[in-house]
Amino acid sequence: MMIKKENMDFFRDGMGIFLGYIERQYKKNPNYKPHPIIRAFNCALEAIGKYEVGKRIMGVSHEGTKDNICDPYVVVLEKKANGIEVKEIRNMKVDKELPVDVMIIIFRLQIQLDKINGDTVNPQQMVDALNSVIPGNMFSALGDRWKEARDEFKRLLDRGEIHIPKNDDLIEELEKINNNTPWEKYSKRLRNLIGASLKSAAVTITSPTNSKIKKYSVFDTAIEFMIGKSSEYFKNQISNNFSKNL
Amino acid sequence: MEIPNRKTINNIYSEYFDIIDSYFEAIKHHLGDEEYSHINLGYYISKYPLISDLILDSLDDLYENIYEFWEENAKHLFDFIKSQSTLKCVYSGDITPVSLESFVKKSALYVDSIIIPDPIFNLTLYNKQIVFDNKFYLNKIVRHIFNIWKLKDLLITDAKDNIIFILPINIQLLSQQDQDNLLNNANSNYTRYINTLINQEFLDIQNLFNFIEGIRTTEDLINNVKNPKLLPREFREPIALNNFLKDFSSINKDPKYAHKSIGWGFATYVQSQFIRVQEHKTFCGKLLAEPIYDYELPWFFFNYDIGCSGIDEAIINSLQKEKFEWISKVPIHALKVLRENNKLEYMRSILRNGITDLKSKRDSELLEVSRQIEANFKEAFKKQKSEIKSLEKEVANIIKKEIPITTGGFLLGFLPTPFNTVVSIFTTFRDMKNNILKLRKKRTDISIKKNDFINLLMNSYDD
Repeated sequence: MMIKKENMDFFRDGMGIFLGYIERQYKKNPNYKPHPIIRAFNCALEAIGKYEVGKRIMGVSHEGTKDNICDPYVVVLEKKANGIEVKEIRNMKVDKELPVDVMIIIFRLQIQLDKINGDTVNPQQMVDALNSVIPGNMFSALGDRWKEARDEFKRLLDRGEIHIPKNDDLIEELEKINNNTPWEKYSKRLRNLIGASLKSAAVTITSPTNSKIKKYSVFDTAIEFMIGKSSEYFKNQISNNFSKNL
Repeated sequence: MEIPNRKTINNIYSEYFDIIDSYFEAIKHHLGDEEYSHINLGYYISKYPLISDLILDSLDDLYENIYEFWEENAKHLFDFIKSQSTLKCVYSGDITPVSLESFVKKSALYVDSIIIPDPIFNLTLYNKQIVFDNKFYLNKIVRHIFNIWKLKDLLITDAKDNIIFILPINIQLLSQQDQDNLLNNANSNYTRYINTLINQEFLDIQNLFNFIEGIRTTEDLINNVKNPKLLPREFREPIALNNFLKDFSSINKDPKYAHKSIGWGFATYVQSQFIRVQEHKTFCGKLLAEPIYDYELPWFFFNYDIGCSGIDEAIINSLQKEKFEWISKVPIHALKVLRENNKLEYMRSILRNGITDLKSKRDSELLEVSRQIEANFKEAFKKQKSEIKSLEKEVANIIKKEIPITTGGFLLGFLPTPFNTVVSIFTTFRDMKNNILKLRKKRTDISIKKNDFINLLMNSYDD
């Protein structure tokens, strides 16, 4: 992990202030669960005391369920004579080392999500949290505009501007739906396809307005957008917006 | 009404610092001994977007904790301060004095207690939410946190009278009726001021505002001023006025203010000063305290609107003038010496010398009063130097003359003489003992003189 030297002190200060925030949340609520990066870090930190100088230790933490692991992280620490060095922080879902700027954004996202009560958020809350930490208003919630998107999608499909392969399951689904089919009955994949036709932002969240999205999956969306496969599509916007400062 | 005791006050401030530490402990290592060690820290931090954003987010709920803290404790402190029959001053002008430490040192030469509006309370609850751009806010909050840390020992103290109190002071804390009255007074005085300044007769504040908002340039603004003497000195020079008003508009978080006219900036700033003066007056009244400022601009508006009430107010505010900047070199422990030796009243009498109520009330720019204070300091230092010199002279005399003579006499008592000497051994021994005691006392007097507050002040003046 490379941090420019002139920023080192303030990086440490900033992280210290963020850890103070975590500590205060614990005091307010002993069941508070910090982000998996912090938990993996703590895990490695607790274990490293037993080892001699030069040894490396790995902490692992994630969210989700056994069948649906979300936000998984590995933190590798090395014991030095004069302290502990962070060797790597890796997101296992996208299998990439986490750049410092992305890590800061993830921590900021946690603070934004902490402000919302409960374990879940609605699509608009998700979009607001993401846009407040990732510059450039990259996310939008389709919300009640889904009918408009559906009609636009139909138009593009009729004009041949969208091509769906003949053997794709979507063809069958499209044949079944009509103007009265509620948005909730659409498959997630079709919703995403329809949502994209409005081109309202880089990423359109198409979940129905009243759906409850687990907070931890918001982190996955952020990571996928910033360093996952789909980040390739937004490379220019991303690098123009947030990679230039650290 | 049960008046809280010293222990309760200390506990309240300990809790206050616990809250601050829980947010800012990670940057406390930047706290240095030098007065200005932290002055640009917030600015440097705010230059780094991602880190500063993380810090800003992490501090986001500070206002809730500070608000809850004061909700629980403010009344105890107000009651305690009101019960103190001492000379107290409430600060106004900026969020806290530009250089808080220096301000405290200067003020503590004359007043028993300085009451400073809690900068954290005002910054987090009002300035951040309503006015300041985020990065400007971060810069300010870091600066004021360090200011407060530097004064911790004066806030949590065993001294009889607190040199400093920090209190939540803001117009928003008043009842709706008091707020309405205050704003009515402020707006009516403001309208009168602007009408006199530009020689107009607007009856309605909105019409007056619309007229001034139409002024686009500083030159036009100056041309519209028909009574330039009513402008604060800083505003009489077009370039300085222009820069001031641009800075004033630029700190506002709402981008629409960036395009407002020079006239709008002027009208808004002056109106805010008239409101601030009324707010200050109200809280001084509530705490039975005098007003104090650390620079001329807010004093100008206070003096215009309310006027100087007399000697104390004139001296307190004159001490803040630049010519007394040397006082900031006085070590902070010296303030404790001043109080522990019960010399505050003596210090006041030195400073008051030659200043009358009439002179104070007439001297709106505090030029004469500050000149007299300067002369009083010089006179006190001269007297101090001469007292030390005379004590040193006495010591020298005892060493050079009296002890050798007595010793000579003492030795003489042992000399085998052919005649019966009149020098008795007992008398000479007693003389010598007395002289040594006298010498010891004089040396102690010199040491006390050299360590007393006037001397500590004098050393800072000479540096």
